Amino acid sequence: MTQDTASPTPTPPPTLAPAGALWDVHQPVGRRSLLLAAIGALLGLGIAGYGLFTAQGTRTASIPAEDAALVNAIPVLRADLIAQVTALYSVPYAQTTRSQRQKVLDDMVREELYVQRGVEMGLSNDDIDVRQALVQATEGQIAQDAATAKPAEDELRGWYTAHRAKYASEGLMTLHEWRVPAGADPQRAVAALRSGTAPDALGLKTTGRVDDGEEFYFAAHEHLGTRVFAVARGLADGAISNPIPSPDGVHIVQMIRNTRPVATPYPEARDQVLRDFLADKIARLQEGNKRFLKKRADIKIAADLQ
Amino acid sequence: MTPPPTFARAATRRRLLWIIPLFLLIAAVVTHGVRYRAIAAQVLRADPEAILGDPTLRDAAIAAGHPVYAQHCASCHGAAGKGDRTLGVPDLTDSEHLYREGTVAQIEDIARYGIRAGNKHGWNLAVMPAYASKNPDAAEPLPPQTPAQIETLARFIHAFTAGVTDPAAQQRGRDAYNKAGCWDCHGRDLGGDGAIGAPALTDDIWLYGGSIADIRRSISRGRAGMSPAFARKLTPAELRNVAVYVASLAPIQSDRK
Repeated sequence: MTQDTASPTPTPPPTLAPAGALWDVHQPVGRRSLLLAAIGALLGLGIAGYGLFTAQGTRTASIPAEDAALVNAIPVLRADLIAQVTALYSVPYAQTTRSQRQKVLDDMVREELYVQRGVEMGLSNDDIDVRQALVQATEGQIAQDAATAKPAEDELRGWYTAHRAKYASEGLMTLHEWRVPAGADPQRAVAALRSGTAPDALGLKTTGRVDDGEEFYFAAHEHLGTRVFAVARGLADGAISNPIPSPDGVHIVQMIRNTRPVATPYPEARDQVLRDFLADKIARLQEGNKRFLKKRADIKIAADLQ
Repeated sequence: MTPPPTFARAATRRRLLWIIPLFLLIAAVVTHGVRYRAIAAQVLRADPEAILGDPTLRDAAIAAGHPVYAQHCASCHGAAGKGDRTLGVPDLTDSEHLYREGTVAQIEDIARYGIRAGNKHGWNLAVMPAYASKNPDAAEPLPPQTPAQIETLARFIHAFTAGVTDPAAQQRGRDAYNKAGCWDCHGRDLGGDGAIGAPALTDDIWLYGGSIADIRRSISRGRAGMSPAFARKLTPAELRNVAVYVASLAPIQSDRK
């Protein structure tokens, strides 16, 4: 009697794939997956490490090419070093010695250390000069942001149109200012002047305030005072004013030539328009910045000062 | 169903034919990138004045600086760097430099900190006073000039390029120039002062135009051109590259520092 025993087929032990099979994509090889995963992981780590140690603000691995030094991760710019070296020794950078550069760099590092220490100690709150410098630097930063974008031509033209009077030339006037002698009738003197009588013949004396020939309006204003200037400004060429009572007697203005301010054409005023436009933009930005800072700040004012 | 071994080997070989060039391409791109970064770093580490003399650094800096110029500088200085007289923007292609000698480092300094741009490192020392106003200069007490004095000054300066026709008038002009204190910035010889951006008045290079009307207006209304500070807008590499590009627009000066 034979016994039919069903013996199971033995599973072949796992064998290592032949070396060439690793590169044959048609053969399943476990090591290939591991190898590719490892390569991928290494690549990922490399990229992450590079990003971590070279990104702005996280410079820890090496000194970036643009910097001469790092002081507690704060860069000392190479360009600033060059500027200071050349300014100090008054020779091209290439002609300075290693020790000269070293000295300047040492000074810059020292300065940076002291600045950082000063901030730690809270000097920015205590020292008047530091506070003023900080205020100015912050204002300057806003100015920089505003100035790096050139306004469009339409914006400049719009500004010019809205402020045309500002770009007018300064008015000019050539005139005489007479003082009426005591006892004389001012109205008769005016009438005589208007009819062509010489001032000498009427006994009129100059006040001496506007005898230098043609003057700008601002200068005439300064010399004549607001009241007499206002009268003079309204006179046409050759006109004689009515008598003007003044503390030192009655005055009469005789206008020789009055050249009123003339609007400067846009192309000629363009540089001034740009300057004023940017100044206004900066002022508005600074005002907006002040409002923002006040809004986000916790400001408490004593009851008696509110 | 597995493909016959012969077919599989052929397919693998075909794939390898693609994979090898792909790897080579990737290697070339990476090598180029590494080399590009190395040259960019060299541009930053080099003495700025040596860059224009080194073909590799020069080409790399100019190639990188041109787009920066086009984006941030050309709107005022013009695409070709010819400037704009209506805004007092200087021509970058001539040999005249308003501030110092026009070295790469100096140009970079201006690009970084600006001129009258609100940055304390920048050039903020002087402006052209407006002599036809009550207070010609906000920073310094200067006397205003009369219309006649301004006319005398304008004709005196104009004569250096237009030619002297009246020696007596020229002498009156020189007296007025000295009396008004113009020499304080522009020098006794009218040669200007690069340390404060005061231009020479005797040559034919004009920031705002050299007609007698232009000169009269400059004296009467003053000038105060501005160049923005890009310290926080551009990276150090962009600043260096654009400085090299701008320096390359001007003719090479043998005495350049």
